[in-house]
Amino acid sequence: MSVVDYTEQRRVRLGAVALAATLVALAVVGTQTDIALERLFTLGFLTRSLEMATPIALAAIGGLYAEKSGVFNIGLEGFMIFGAFTAAASMYAIGGTASTQVHVWSAIGISVLITGAMTAIFAVLVIRFKADQIVAGLAVWFIGLGFAPFTASIIWGSQSSPGLSSVGSLPFGQSPLVVLTVVIVVAAWYVLYRTRYGYWVQAAGENPEALDTAGVNVNRVRYATVIFSGVMAGLGGAVLLAHEGNFVGTGDTMVEGRGWIAIVAYLFGNYNPIGAAAAALLFGGLDMLNVQFQTVGIEVSARLVNLLPYIAVIVVLSAWGKTRMPSSVGESYESED
Amino acid sequence: MLDATVLERIGIAVGSTVSALLIGLVIVAISGYNPVEFASQLLVGSFGSERAVARTLRYSVLFVLAGVAVAIAFRAGVFNIGVQGQFIVGGFATVVSIITLAPYLPNGTGGGVALMLIGTVAAIAAGGLYAALPGVLKAYGGANEIITTIMLNFIAIGFVGWLVAGRFGDPQATATRTEHMPENVGFPSVIFDDPNLSIVGIVLTLVVVALIAAVMTRTSFGYDMVTSGTQEAAATYSGVDAKRMIVSTMTLSGMVAGLAGAIFAIMIQGYFTDPSGIGNYGFDAIAVSLLAANNPIGVIPAGLLFGGLESAGSHIQISTDVPVQLIDGIVGLVVLFVAVPELFRMIAKRTGLGGDGE
Repeated sequence: MSVVDYTEQRRVRLGAVALAATLVALAVVGTQTDIALERLFTLGFLTRSLEMATPIALAAIGGLYAEKSGVFNIGLEGFMIFGAFTAAASMYAIGGTASTQVHVWSAIGISVLITGAMTAIFAVLVIRFKADQIVAGLAVWFIGLGFAPFTASIIWGSQSSPGLSSVGSLPFGQSPLVVLTVVIVVAAWYVLYRTRYGYWVQAAGENPEALDTAGVNVNRVRYATVIFSGVMAGLGGAVLLAHEGNFVGTGDTMVEGRGWIAIVAYLFGNYNPIGAAAAALLFGGLDMLNVQFQTVGIEVSARLVNLLPYIAVIVVLSAWGKTRMPSSVGESYESED
Repeated sequence: MLDATVLERIGIAVGSTVSALLIGLVIVAISGYNPVEFASQLLVGSFGSERAVARTLRYSVLFVLAGVAVAIAFRAGVFNIGVQGQFIVGGFATVVSIITLAPYLPNGTGGGVALMLIGTVAAIAAGGLYAALPGVLKAYGGANEIITTIMLNFIAIGFVGWLVAGRFGDPQATATRTEHMPENVGFPSVIFDDPNLSIVGIVLTLVVVALIAAVMTRTSFGYDMVTSGTQEAAATYSGVDAKRMIVSTMTLSGMVAGLAGAIFAIMIQGYFTDPSGIGNYGFDAIAVSLLAANNPIGVIPAGLLFGGLESAGSHIQISTDVPVQLIDGIVGLVVLFVAVPELFRMIAKRTGLGGDGE
């Protein structure tokens, strides 16, 4: 396939996906009301969609790095739960329920460190001990779903935390975490496609033997990307918490499937960090439609509108499921020497 | 795990469970509770009294059926993470079909049996169809079934929840639930006093296990299925249509998951509640199946273990103040350990236990 064909095809795919999503949204609005659409798509809607998209985008960036290097980190959802919970717990520990901005940012930092350490264990199991990546990833999710509410119950006597502090906003009403995410997305794109390290990451997933021959330790690259993926998912969870202001541990926890959507976001963005972030924004927007409907006074069941992102994921995957995975994903690599 | 011997698999299963429980006890101790008391409550709550045993068996029935559903797909090399959704859709189909048809059938036992048959068939059909969808999407659209089935779980929970809260809700009830199914719908409780456990449910479960085991080992369909899972190229070479195999195994898997939902609705609940709060049977079933190395017969002891854990969980919730979510975390640890047979092989080799290890 030539480069031109490739970009053509991708543009068609992206167009089709955006169109499908818009149609779904419009169909819901159109059948339910006759309210003018301009009242629905406001600046506030964009701001909230961006905020909603940040956790998904961050986890997606991490997941795509891991998968590019040959490890499918299906535990993103679990790492996001750890991230959100540890951020809440550390914020409560250092600042109580009336934390300052310094506390909020420190909590995010602590949470990232703890999640990173947990991911290191996961990485050792998956790379050194050749754990089944799918099963181990599911385990991370289950462990998160169990231990986060468990520890929350011990700390707060309830599966959810009391109201903590949320992150402040920049002069234009934008969250600084959104800006941070944009920087990370661009940096991730630059490293992956414009630096030597990025080529190593890609080679570790496509042709580990060649990378090994070139004298680069394949597993060391994979350790780095897997730990990076957990750190990003943890950051995503912490960002989610910093936007919402309290930890919710009931049901599927406050992460509510965003880790899974993150996986779809990078598949959807064809393993390109910028594409993944764009997909995350689409899902964030769908998520926020709910609030928007309520503000405008459209009577749609919140439960149904909440399903839109999940439905969109299925539509997207089936309309365009054959993303080309890196050829060595899921295989553990053992150096000959 | 498929390259492990039977003994090795049992060793891995026991090792995983014991390690997970030990870590659980350490966590109990760190959290400031008494681990010895917790361990004894775990035993008392699962097998300590007739009531506890009945409760364990009640949950085990669900875990075994849901575990078999997972095992069918895994054996064929397809990941059905959507058993939870198929279970919900199946159970809901049972309740709705029974409540809708009840006025047209006689009140006595005959009518009740007919209603239960209809309800069960509805559940099997609904579960099968709900699982066929991701099967078709994978086979013909290339959509990754792990992701689609997980999304379909969220959709089932949300959509059935919306129906239970709205169209099918019982306006008299304070909680979100449907109306009760009529009096004549329910399995008789013969041996056990427990109103939510019936010998019918247990026998039905064992029959399904035997049936699935027979299909897998004694029929050409089962042979093709397992071959597609273990040696895809060989299966294609011998004329197996890989795409149709994906759809049919997913459908069969969903049918069993739907049946589990029917038993949940008829034997245990008698109505249908908001599915966001009915318990993670379909998710834990993944652990059950993995623990049993995806063998339908092995699912029975694994299902009993999880039934015991769940039963102990409800006991612990009442009799101690250890948060019950700990049990979910322990289940996660079991899954994690099952994923890493290499770890146990290494330990076995280092300690000289378990023979040659390789």
